[in-house]
Amino acid sequence: MLSIIAELTGNVEVVGKGLMLGIGMLGPGIGIGLIGNAFMNAVGRNPEASKFLGQILVFVAIVELMALLVFASLFIIK
Amino acid sequence: MLSSFINRFATEDAGPSVHIAPAQLFEFKGISITNSMFFAWVCSTLIIILLVIVAKRMKLRPKGGVTQFIEIGTDFITGVLENGLGDREKALKYAPYFVSIFFFIAFSNILGLLPGVGEALTFKGAPVFRAFTADLNGTLAASVIAMIMIQTFAVKESGFIKHLRHYFAGKLWNPLTYLVGLYEVFNELVRIFSLALRLFLNVAIGEIIISVFSYLGKFAAPLTSFPFIFLELGVALLQAYIFVMLSVTYLSLAVTHGHDEADSLESTAKEMGI
Repeated sequence: MLSIIAELTGNVEVVGKGLMLGIGMLGPGIGIGLIGNAFMNAVGRNPEASKFLGQILVFVAIVELMALLVFASLFIIK
Repeated sequence: MLSSFINRFATEDAGPSVHIAPAQLFEFKGISITNSMFFAWVCSTLIIILLVIVAKRMKLRPKGGVTQFIEIGTDFITGVLENGLGDREKALKYAPYFVSIFFFIAFSNILGLLPGVGEALTFKGAPVFRAFTADLNGTLAASVIAMIMIQTFAVKESGFIKHLRHYFAGKLWNPLTYLVGLYEVFNELVRIFSLALRLFLNVAIGEIIISVFSYLGKFAAPLTSFPFIFLELGVALLQAYIFVMLSVTYLSLAVTHGHDEADSLESTAKEMGI
């Protein structure tokens, strides 16, 4: 597999960027999904927990930073 | 049809205009004035004028309009402070700084979405305006100032020695105390960069997404970029809120010394009525 990739010619940069976006966005996607899952579970058990939505957004922003770093690298790497 | 879309991404002949760094407008005594700095001056002038007018029109029963929105924002941030610090009096003491940084970031984000900001108006080939928060220098300055203010507030609140002991907590003969303390100080420095990067990347990538979708849309550019501009309006307010929320969290962490004291367990037990 690696030897095939090594012999690729042409616009390989696009393949690399696509792989980076695809693999890099996996983690933050799972992370935000887990946060939403935990929040909805908590609200389902105890509806008063919905007042913590603001803090949930803060945690989402913390996880989101990783996804944004991946997206920004798209324009930085050459 | 589809292949032409894919080719447009694959070949970078004339892609959407993507800028991560600001452009220099002119030079003043060796200091380069960039378009984001210029935008920040315009933005802060507008905010000062708006807030002074609103402060003069303040009444017990507001009539509505802009005054009401500013009051809602101020009350909201004061509420966040009250939740974080657990004290109304302390919240009112620190409110002026946090409310003004909230309005500055929110206004800078929202004004950055206006049509005149970006490639439309150019001066010697460089765009005249660029959103202040879409520039890493700007957000880094904002977060450095936020951290300096947090440290100043914490020192004022608990005294210099006690604030140092907050980082280097534990017995002084123990070398582990110094290691953990250094780690805590390093953590504060990392917070500066995480605050700055979060705000910068959210705003800059929002702009990139808008420009990519208006480029893909060609003749229907207003239609394709319209939903993303709405999305960015939400992100603008959310990011301002998150910046303030995180700085309030850091302040409340720096101010409270509950875990430093040996009798903290007893005091919590007393509070719970055990």
